Amino acid sequence: MPFSTATAASSPKSSDRAVEAAVELRGVSKRFYYYQHRTSSLREWFIRRILHRPLNVRRAEFTLRSFDLRVGHGEAVALIGSNGSGKSTALRLIAGIYQPSSGSVRTSGRLTAVIELGAGFHPELTGADNVALYAAVLGLGRRELMARFDEVVDFAEMREFMDTPLKYYSSGMEARLAFSVAVCLQPDVLLLDEVLAVGDQAFRDRCLARLRAYHAAGGTLILVSHEVDQVRELCSRAVWLEQGVMRMDGDVDQVLAAYRANDSLDRSRGAS
Amino acid sequence: MSAVHPAPGWATSPRRANQVWRFRELLRQLILRNLKVKYQRSLLGFVWTFLNPLLTVAILVLVFSHVVRIPLPDYWAFVLSGYFVWNCILQTLNTGTYIFAEHSRLTRSVAFPSEILVLGAVGSRLLEFLAEIALILVLLVAFHHHHVPASFALLPILLAIQVLLVIGLALPIATLSVFYYDVQHALPIALTTLFYLSPVFYPAQMVPEAARPFYFLNPIAGLLTLYHEILYAGRMPSFTLLFGMIAAALLVYVIGYAIFNRYCSVFSEIV
Repeated sequence: MPFSTATAASSPKSSDRAVEAAVELRGVSKRFYYYQHRTSSLREWFIRRILHRPLNVRRAEFTLRSFDLRVGHGEAVALIGSNGSGKSTALRLIAGIYQPSSGSVRTSGRLTAVIELGAGFHPELTGADNVALYAAVLGLGRRELMARFDEVVDFAEMREFMDTPLKYYSSGMEARLAFSVAVCLQPDVLLLDEVLAVGDQAFRDRCLARLRAYHAAGGTLILVSHEVDQVRELCSRAVWLEQGVMRMDGDVDQVLAAYRANDSLDRSRGAS
Repeated sequence: MSAVHPAPGWATSPRRANQVWRFRELLRQLILRNLKVKYQRSLLGFVWTFLNPLLTVAILVLVFSHVVRIPLPDYWAFVLSGYFVWNCILQTLNTGTYIFAEHSRLTRSVAFPSEILVLGAVGSRLLEFLAEIALILVLLVAFHHHHVPASFALLPILLAIQVLLVIGLALPIATLSVFYYDVQHALPIALTTLFYLSPVFYPAQMVPEAARPFYFLNPIAGLLTLYHEILYAGRMPSFTLLFGMIAAALLVYVIGYAIFNRYCSVFSEIV
């Protein structure tokens, strides 16, 4: 189980930034400890204390190493890389779910992170209750929710299911409802972690259109995705992470091309 | 506007309080959810919540007024004014042992002040308790006092003490439960012990004088004694007891919150 001791981030002085970025990471590292053995019961704790055995045997591993990222307001950036490259960790650090082991994370404006769709959904509650709960989870106030409730329901096209308990929904319907809440929030910064593969083609197209409109209206978007077409369609800039280190940062087409070339190189190496 | 990440800090610090305030709608939704999920499919609903402890009260009354005699007039009224408080504390603390595990998906994927989960559990149980205590007041006035004693006016203060105490105890229990699964096995044993070491079915006055300073180290003993004074005896409690308990509850709250704050930043990586 990964576990880290987080030290407080030292935030840079406000004088050394000319224009405020939407998201700014400076020298951010995230260290997780992978435990070969971890004392998780009090009985064991006592025995190990008495025998002078170490409580934990662990190996520190960097998921992210001195990562710098500056995303301006209105930018749309994709984080790409293979599994375990640190993309999701980076997103969680930006969202404030993880505290960095070192370095500083700074965000400005209202930020909404959708790391897991429908986190907080309860199967016994109705669709309408779950919309209210999930919106509150994502930080929406009561009045804001009331103002947007109809928009969410219309976007999901699920008005007739609003009084049905969530446990009778199909998993596709559930994801659709969650996604509708997330895209209707209109934050200043939106973080999405591989949650775009939702619903049928028509719904996906509407989601993409919605996100494009959000971006066109000046919203900042940071996206983790494996779907190259989506990345290219939504983002102008891409950041390629490899084993916790940034390999490339730049124009989306160039970065994707380099990433793919490297990927096929790895594969041909693996085959030979 | 700058970064709004939940950061460790004292419960009393404006920043932390501000975080909780920002997510007050989530707190409200969690309280609503807890109550809805509990009651929506149950025909008798709240009756069950009231009936279960009432049955225990009946057994206690039966045993301690006919088998082991505790010499108190209207002994049933005495048990009634303390047992529901005990039951409320017990259930909330037990919830604390699994609350973070139950919401692991939420903790792993959303940045919010995680004490809101504990506050939500305390809040929904407290609303049930308010309904219970209202019924108890009616019973006490109708069959015990035959009038409304002035001491009932102190009830809001007792409720405030109870809330601080329960939050201050539930937060460290929930924190410890994230790291050690033993807590959910150990806590029921500890609470059973505490049941006998608290004045639930006997008055604190029966405790030997010499042992009382130690006996009242348990803040729940003080709280229950306060309830006995104002609900059962219908008289104003001593200032020492009342202000002592206010101080004790604040202390437990601050220490409990500090323990939680020390570790809460890594919850999202563990649960």
